[in-house]
Amino acid sequence: MRITLLHRRLTILMGIAGLVAFAAGAGFEPISAAVAFVALVIALFWQPSHRLSVRLDPAWLPVAGLLVARALWHVFVVGDDVVIPVVDLLLLLLCAESLRSLDAPNDTRMYALSFALLLASTAYRPGIFFALAFVTYVTLATVALTLGHLRRKAQRHRIPEPTADRALLGTTAGLGTVVLVTSVLVFLAFPRVTRGFAGRGDVPVTQVAGFSDQVSIGEFGSQIYANPQIVLRVEFPDGVPPNVNDLHWRGRSYDRFNGIQWSHSLPHPPSNAPRAWYNDRWQGPVIEQRIFAAPLEARVLFTLHPTLRLDSDRRIAPMLDQAGDLLYFGSAAPAYTAWSMSAPPPRDVLRAAPEGGLSRNVSRYYLQLPPLPDRILRLADSLTTGLTNQYDRAAAIERYLRTFTYTLQLPRTAQEATLDWFLFERRAGHCEYFSTAMVVLLRAVGIPARQVNGFRGGQWSDFGEYLAVTQNQAHSWVEVWFPGFGWVPFDPTPAASGSTTAATAATAWFWPGRFLFDGLQHRWNKWVLDYSHENQFGLLDWLQGYASRESAGARGGRTGGALPWALITLALALTGVVYGLLRSGRGHPAETRAYLRLLELCRRAGLIQTRAVGPLELVERLEARAHPAASPARRLVELYLRARFAGQALDEREHRALAEALSRARTHLRPA
Amino acid sequence: MTGVRRAWARLRAWRRIRFTFGGLVFSLGALAVGFAAMNTANNLLYLLLGAMLGLIVVSSWLSEQAIRGLDVRRHTPHGVTVSHEVRIQYEVINHKRRLSSLAVELREQGLPVAAFLPHVGAGEETTARSANRFVRRGIYPLGTVTISTSFPFGLFLKERDVEIPGELVIWPRHDRALRAPAPGAGKSRALGIALTRAAGTRGDYRGLREYRPGDDPKDIHWRSSARFEVPVVREYDRDSSESLWICLDLAGQPSEESEALVEVTASLAARAQAEGKRFGLVAGGRTVPPAAGAGQLERVLDALARVDFRLDAPPPAPPVDPLRCILVSLAGRDAAAYADAFVGAPPVREEAA
Repeated sequence: MRITLLHRRLTILMGIAGLVAFAAGAGFEPISAAVAFVALVIALFWQPSHRLSVRLDPAWLPVAGLLVARALWHVFVVGDDVVIPVVDLLLLLLCAESLRSLDAPNDTRMYALSFALLLASTAYRPGIFFALAFVTYVTLATVALTLGHLRRKAQRHRIPEPTADRALLGTTAGLGTVVLVTSVLVFLAFPRVTRGFAGRGDVPVTQVAGFSDQVSIGEFGSQIYANPQIVLRVEFPDGVPPNVNDLHWRGRSYDRFNGIQWSHSLPHPPSNAPRAWYNDRWQGPVIEQRIFAAPLEARVLFTLHPTLRLDSDRRIAPMLDQAGDLLYFGSAAPAYTAWSMSAPPPRDVLRAAPEGGLSRNVSRYYLQLPPLPDRILRLADSLTTGLTNQYDRAAAIERYLRTFTYTLQLPRTAQEATLDWFLFERRAGHCEYFSTAMVVLLRAVGIPARQVNGFRGGQWSDFGEYLAVTQNQAHSWVEVWFPGFGWVPFDPTPAASGSTTAATAATAWFWPGRFLFDGLQHRWNKWVLDYSHENQFGLLDWLQGYASRESAGARGGRTGGALPWALITLALALTGVVYGLLRSGRGHPAETRAYLRLLELCRRAGLIQTRAVGPLELVERLEARAHPAASPARRLVELYLRARFAGQALDEREHRALAEALSRARTHLRPA
Repeated sequence: MTGVRRAWARLRAWRRIRFTFGGLVFSLGALAVGFAAMNTANNLLYLLLGAMLGLIVVSSWLSEQAIRGLDVRRHTPHGVTVSHEVRIQYEVINHKRRLSSLAVELREQGLPVAAFLPHVGAGEETTARSANRFVRRGIYPLGTVTISTSFPFGLFLKERDVEIPGELVIWPRHDRALRAPAPGAGKSRALGIALTRAAGTRGDYRGLREYRPGDDPKDIHWRSSARFEVPVVREYDRDSSESLWICLDLAGQPSEESEALVEVTASLAARAQAEGKRFGLVAGGRTVPPAAGAGQLERVLDALARVDFRLDAPPPAPPVDPLRCILVSLAGRDAAAYADAFVGAPPVREEAA
């Protein structure tokens, strides 16, 4: 294949790799992406003649003008995201350059355009496909840049194009590996010292169904569709809990119910339990959770309840609000570690807990009820009559509701969407109906309770050794206040259905390779997108530990770092380089060294401008100026010429004369 | 301080790295990406920065491999007429065992056009040529050959110097149209001196000498050549009365006119050589003994390439009667000292003729 054609194809493939990288992050407008892709594929196999290329040129301008106008419209009028229109413009330019004749010297522009696409894609949070596109791009770029350089040089020197044989292509592609390794090293080692004050932030996950900061039971006429988008990946550094697939990942709590919607009262009184209650009275062991969350519209940190401690990376700033919910500031995808107790206090302990305990001011928030039909209040009384403690009353309501049916099918009418209809007519609904009903029934009998939402369950990935929680696992449940123990969770949603339906599970995990893919995605998120200075320190610790172990093993138990040896090696290498520099030039025979030295002295003395002066001419110039160095210079040059060109080796006496002549010349030629 | 300078000079001769325009843009781009990465804490930008730095590392390593381990020998033409193409040939040997050298340029210091080697395989030897043109005659010393490459990506130019002493002899033009010269301004004919070539003018046998380019192959003494293992030719004495002496007066300012004068002298020699005459040259202190043939023309041109004009230059002192010589001189020489016997016409007029 001609090197020109191969080079063009490589640059087009770079463009396609850039397009894939961008699609992996921000997506595209389907029409422009399809048109660009088709144009690039056509350009791979067909190149217009020079004449046709010249004719096509004017056609691109109006289209580019339209796209520029569109981008300006987006910026100044719509105020929308400008990246997509700009990327459309980039794609147009890329297509225009790709569809030029082969003799067009446009390779630099094509490099720049494809790189701009790659650069633009980093503004989003691209998935694992970015990694594939990046590796492909770097490999292609290494080969393309090399071939482009050879092509340009051949044109410049007017020689036939060199052939791109397999060995050259293979070697060059192998160099791409070196580039990638360097890239990884720089990526790992470059200090992450800033928090990214100018960051664009991450794009929230689009929600079809799942977690929302709004809890409502009013929707009707349709059904909740599955959304297998993964929102949490949780690792358990201290061991996987036995009930890992049935954990409640608590997010937000709500205290105010208006009959249809739940909300969070503002201002909200402090209503979180002291940490010591959870620490001392709940059951252990403490579960450590390393959580990698997708960015959601609601800035909530999901953890197991109750959370004793939370550490996050520097890109988000967590905060505990008055209700005890964990929120955060920042635009990055949260990555954090939480420590939580594993189980609530035993039932008997809770049965013995005193009632009340919340101040009157706080209680009114958690005992608030909207106007309700009498039969709901009567139902609450009937369910709890005869029970002597708060725990039993709550458990009775929970048991009652679990006799209902779980469904994702929404009620058909607004009337059927009410709590009353759910409790007495339909007796079926999704988790929010169950949790809402329980909170209302608890409050009706004077037990402080609140609505909580988050996620329940998840899928354990053996490949990645983490728990994957999807939007399908979004869930609502109830927290009941127990004085001395804090907020204790109850989940009235029927256990048989779990938090997800069969349809959800089928759509979420129908693809067996999803575990593998999501494992890669998780590693990508963890080690690339969310890589931080904490990871750097961890890596450094690991390396130091590794070096210590190696050293201990090699020296029979004595510990010591490899750093001193590395420094000694570096120092020796530097010494070698300096010595080599000082030694360089001594490869010449003595007379040549002496002559070159004389030349240099004359140049520094301003007698010649360059060293491109013949030996005799140099002497003549000195003599013409009647320079005092002329005589020793003539002697030196005579000896040099005789030894260099007449093939007569200098004897010892002549060597001394040579050195003496140089010394005399130096005396006269050195600046005063 | 001198030691530092010396080390710096050696470092420069050892390796030099310069940005190409593309390399400068690329490096600034890498800086910008790094700056953006730090400001946004966007890890993917660190990845891109790493890739860009990786390209720089690979570029540096490969360019080093391209120019190291190369042994260069230069072959220059014996002499080239001014404004003709001077082709310098380089023999390049790649001593590396495994790695080829690609896209290597060889450039003489001060010459604009470089020789280019697209590929020198490991352990292979190849040649490259550069073609330059000189606009002035003279001796051009050659010293430093710069081996450079911007392989593989054209981002940086890496160079190292190799000292190979040598020189280029650029002859003056010798194709000027001239009228037939007359020694002694025409007075020689009156003196009865035979100037035309006569048949069988070869004189007594003088001896043997080493063959020089331009010698008549018929004069090669094969038996002696075989004995000495170098070509040897017979040399004969010739009657000095058959020789044409061209005397170039070097008194004057170096100028376009003086250069034209040298060209006229060279053209006279070329004319004499074309006519099969024996001719010699006296220019300043240089004397080229009379001889015939292309080799003699080269010797004369070599001598003319080296002459310099000076105001205080002495008049030419031919070893024969000045009346037998053709004097080429700028106006201003005291012609009376030569009994106005020489051609004193300005060279421009010679050309016009």
